[in-house]
Amino acid sequence: MVQFFLENDRVTEFVAHLMNQKPVYAPHRKGQKSFAFALTVDAAEVVLDYTRTMHSVKKFFLPPREELLSFDLTENSYQAGEAKPADAVFFGVHSYDLAAVKRLDYNFTQGNPEKNYLARRQGALFVGVSFKPDKYHFSGSVGVRTLDTEGCDLFLTKLLDGYVLEVVTPAGEKLVDGIDLPVHEAGKPAAEHFQQHIYVPQARLGDVMAKSYDSPVWDETAEKCVGCGTCNLVCPTCYCFNVEESVDVTATKGNRERHWDGCMLRDFSEVAGGEVFRENLSARQRHRVYRKFKYISDETGEPWCVGCGRCTASCTADISIVSIVNRLIGDYERAVVAPV
Amino acid sequence: MTHERMVAPTELKDLYLPVMAEIKEAKKMTELETLYTVELPDGAELGHGPGQFVELSIFGVGEAPFSISSSPTRRGVFELGIRRVGMLTEVLGKMEAGQKVGIRGPFGSGVDIEKFKGKDVMIVAGGIGLVPMRSMINYVIDNRSDFGRLVICYGSRSDKELLFTDELEQWTKDANIEYHVTVDQGSPEWTGKTGVITTLIPGLDLDLENTVCCVCGPPIMYRFVLLALRSRGLPEKNIYMSLERRMKCGVGKCGHCQINSSYVCQDGPVYHYPDIKGLQEAL
Repeated sequence: MVQFFLENDRVTEFVAHLMNQKPVYAPHRKGQKSFAFALTVDAAEVVLDYTRTMHSVKKFFLPPREELLSFDLTENSYQAGEAKPADAVFFGVHSYDLAAVKRLDYNFTQGNPEKNYLARRQGALFVGVSFKPDKYHFSGSVGVRTLDTEGCDLFLTKLLDGYVLEVVTPAGEKLVDGIDLPVHEAGKPAAEHFQQHIYVPQARLGDVMAKSYDSPVWDETAEKCVGCGTCNLVCPTCYCFNVEESVDVTATKGNRERHWDGCMLRDFSEVAGGEVFRENLSARQRHRVYRKFKYISDETGEPWCVGCGRCTASCTADISIVSIVNRLIGDYERAVVAPV
Repeated sequence: MTHERMVAPTELKDLYLPVMAEIKEAKKMTELETLYTVELPDGAELGHGPGQFVELSIFGVGEAPFSISSSPTRRGVFELGIRRVGMLTEVLGKMEAGQKVGIRGPFGSGVDIEKFKGKDVMIVAGGIGLVPMRSMINYVIDNRSDFGRLVICYGSRSDKELLFTDELEQWTKDANIEYHVTVDQGSPEWTGKTGVITTLIPGLDLDLENTVCCVCGPPIMYRFVLLALRSRGLPEKNIYMSLERRMKCGVGKCGHCQINSSYVCQDGPVYHYPDIKGLQEAL
């Protein structure tokens, strides 16, 4: 499809052009080194040169808190909560976060398709942007490169003085209607290299994981882990949730909300009477890693980790998912491929 | 971006909205357990099978999964045998006939009845595990000619904690039911057997190839019952187990009930033993 050139000086103008069509959610600076997707009010505040946002765009389709219903205690009746279509442009999204949206789409359409998620996903358009991998990114190892346009309607590739603006879908083409941009004739730069890697592809990771159930790595990781659940909260493909009630101060009205939950938290698997089915942190670490590289992956053939590096960058105990996986690979190679 | 599997949300049903159902009766069974008879609006059938569960909720308190204790052959209403063990069941315990609760479901795979037909049916229930198993037991009783022998092994902590005592009495008298019961510790009045549930199994006269067994009880029980069944010579392919986990959403989304890769609310709670044998987190 056609490619345009977007000068650095015209990025703000382009964002404003998008804002005239739909609400635009884009990365904004939060504090010195943090970034977050937020509704754009001033196009000049949008940041395209960022490492990673604290949360992915998941929060717009599976909100951290979502009202499922509101109730009236005096009448013992309820009203369904409303999940509104996003109907917005998500601007400046990295390829791994789009890979995560694709995975969430799968999870919420599998089995019982979920109305809430799918309603919020309606009308979402994506403008991707290339990124320069930092020490935590490893999406190249899970099949997501820095210039991948999958899932995008438009894609921006960083050059020195601006961006190559690539039209990927007809919906993207409509977004650039009405702004006069020069056609970009030259090619695109090569994809950026990653600073860290998982050493084998998912096709082999299936075997590695199958042989790693009793690995000492889980216990070793558990020794450092404090079970705070941050890795779950920042993961763009974690979608587990809990449901809780709250009642207002009049004690007559309230609502039932779902909120993000995490398998690293102790009470995640607790049942009435106090039994906890994944009591040890080692079992919980294994479950988390298996959810990203084994359980769903055995079914789909794809890793469910997208290599964003958030869990590692945010870990309060310095636990690296790349180190865990590479250690499992190393042990597997030694034991299975080249036994001593 | 439109995902290839994307469905128009307007065509989808609401997974998380309950129907308001009326408590018709709340019958205290023991100090902790009460049997609730529940009716859906307009007397609609729940449409469940033995082994399935519902999500029951009370606004402002919460929602939790409960196994259905009545057989689908007993129509018009359904029953939930509930132990008072947390906040929701505490509030439920104070509710009376005529009050309404939210119900979602039925959920889960339940017992594959077709695989039980023509076979001798054996039920091993420990404690509150009798609640879901009673659905299957009464299903067999109501379709007696479809099944062979009905062998029930029931273990309870004490005779004071025995559930459905009226029915236990009937099962004892019914020549078509082989009912065995033991308690871990009997009161002075207890004249029956004393000992854990596994002590009932070695002495059973079973047609091993033709007996299908369904097990339900506290987590600790499964391993020991399994050992006893295997040493009795029952083939693994004839064993089914109903497992408890935290089935929060009931529709395979929230993640709480997972046993390794299996969602209990979808693949279970009743599992064919060979299917969970390889799941390390199952038993």
